[in-house]
Amino acid sequence: MDAVKTPGQVRCVIVTPEKAVADEVCDFVALPMYDGEVGIAPLRRPLIGRLGFGELRTRKGNVVHHWYVDGGFVQVRNDVVTVLTSKAMKATDIKIEAAQASLAEAQKPANTPEGIDANLNAQERARAQIRVAQKAAGTPATH
Amino acid sequence: MANKRVLVKRRKAIRNIRKITKTMELIATSRFKKAMDRASEAELFTRKVAELAADLTANATGVTHPLLQKREKIQRSVLLILTSNRGLCGGYNASILREAGLAVRRNETEGVEVQLELSGKRAIAFFRYQGIPVAHQYTHFEDKPAFEQVDVLANRYIQEYIAGKIDRVEVAYMKFINAGRQRPVVETLLPLDQLAPIEGAAAAGAGNDQVDYEFLPSAGSILEEVLPISFKIRLFKCFLDAAVSEQIARRVAMKAATESAGDMIKSLSQDYNRLRQAQITTEIAEIIGGVEALK
Repeated sequence: MDAVKTPGQVRCVIVTPEKAVADEVCDFVALPMYDGEVGIAPLRRPLIGRLGFGELRTRKGNVVHHWYVDGGFVQVRNDVVTVLTSKAMKATDIKIEAAQASLAEAQKPANTPEGIDANLNAQERARAQIRVAQKAAGTPATH
Repeated sequence: MANKRVLVKRRKAIRNIRKITKTMELIATSRFKKAMDRASEAELFTRKVAELAADLTANATGVTHPLLQKREKIQRSVLLILTSNRGLCGGYNASILREAGLAVRRNETEGVEVQLELSGKRAIAFFRYQGIPVAHQYTHFEDKPAFEQVDVLANRYIQEYIAGKIDRVEVAYMKFINAGRQRPVVETLLPLDQLAPIEGAAAAGAGNDQVDYEFLPSAGSILEEVLPISFKIRLFKCFLDAAVSEQIARRVAMKAATESAGDMIKSLSQDYNRLRQAQITTEIAEIIGGVEALK
């Protein structure tokens, strides 16, 4: 399970409550934080941060992997990036139709403050999924 | 000789039952292994969150989160009871329901209104028979509970707790201690324990050197986000434990059933052989008697 890491590289571990989704060694990791993207290169200062919905990229050489993460937290320490998220999937595994359906569902009007919050949250999540999936598929984002 | 035929028939029936229980034992064994693997995979997340919480609490002081606040007077309490959908698992459901029944009575004597939520057909049938009203029923948690399903429940509890609709959340389930021991327990999940969101958090923190972290946005606000997650994974762990324990209970029960079916077949075979021998002896005696009479 443990990937071997050489100096000058970053180990990226993605964990969900159900299982360890990914454990890879790469040169660079881009994380979707709650307010924008943060790039992690080797020798980064230890960091704990909150993630938003969005795309996580790992790059090794010329190979870039795209992941979608559903919020959560990240801990960076000793060049190990640990992503704790409730859901993570490969960008190519996202079902755009399903995401669009849930976006349409979330755009229905709500009449309670909690309902509005939940809807906004769901919209953001669905938009992020669509964005990541479209980017992975090579089509320009429309949302 | 109707008796003999009856014995043969019974023996056949028991053989069939033994086949079924043997198969169920094998199925339960393989499901147990899978459930066990899932539980151990989930362990990593739990450990990491505990580590994170320990690091955060070292850096954030005076965090007050609604999930940490203990209510002075508990008026409404949720009791979630996790049982299996299917039977044939020995005393698994009975022992959980006994524990849950005690909790219900304890709440009643304290004057707390209990809102019952049941998972598993066994609990639903039990409380329907008892005539106790139930708030929610779930039958979709099988041997592979998914985090997404548990997440829905957890979010509702968090919302209701923060809104003050409920003052306590308890879960009655079979706690998995090791492969040979499981114990029915009633655990209080909400309010969360002060600054020790997960068991072992302190231990995980003690092993770490103090690292000078950069926090985005800040330790306190991240901790506030970690708390609901730690509640969710505790609830999720309850479901995983219940799934593992159920398979163990079923395996043990089916093993015992297979063994006693074997014993029963043995004793029936003995009876049958004895009866057959007695019959042959009688027939010989009759023939000899007949020959004697003809002389």
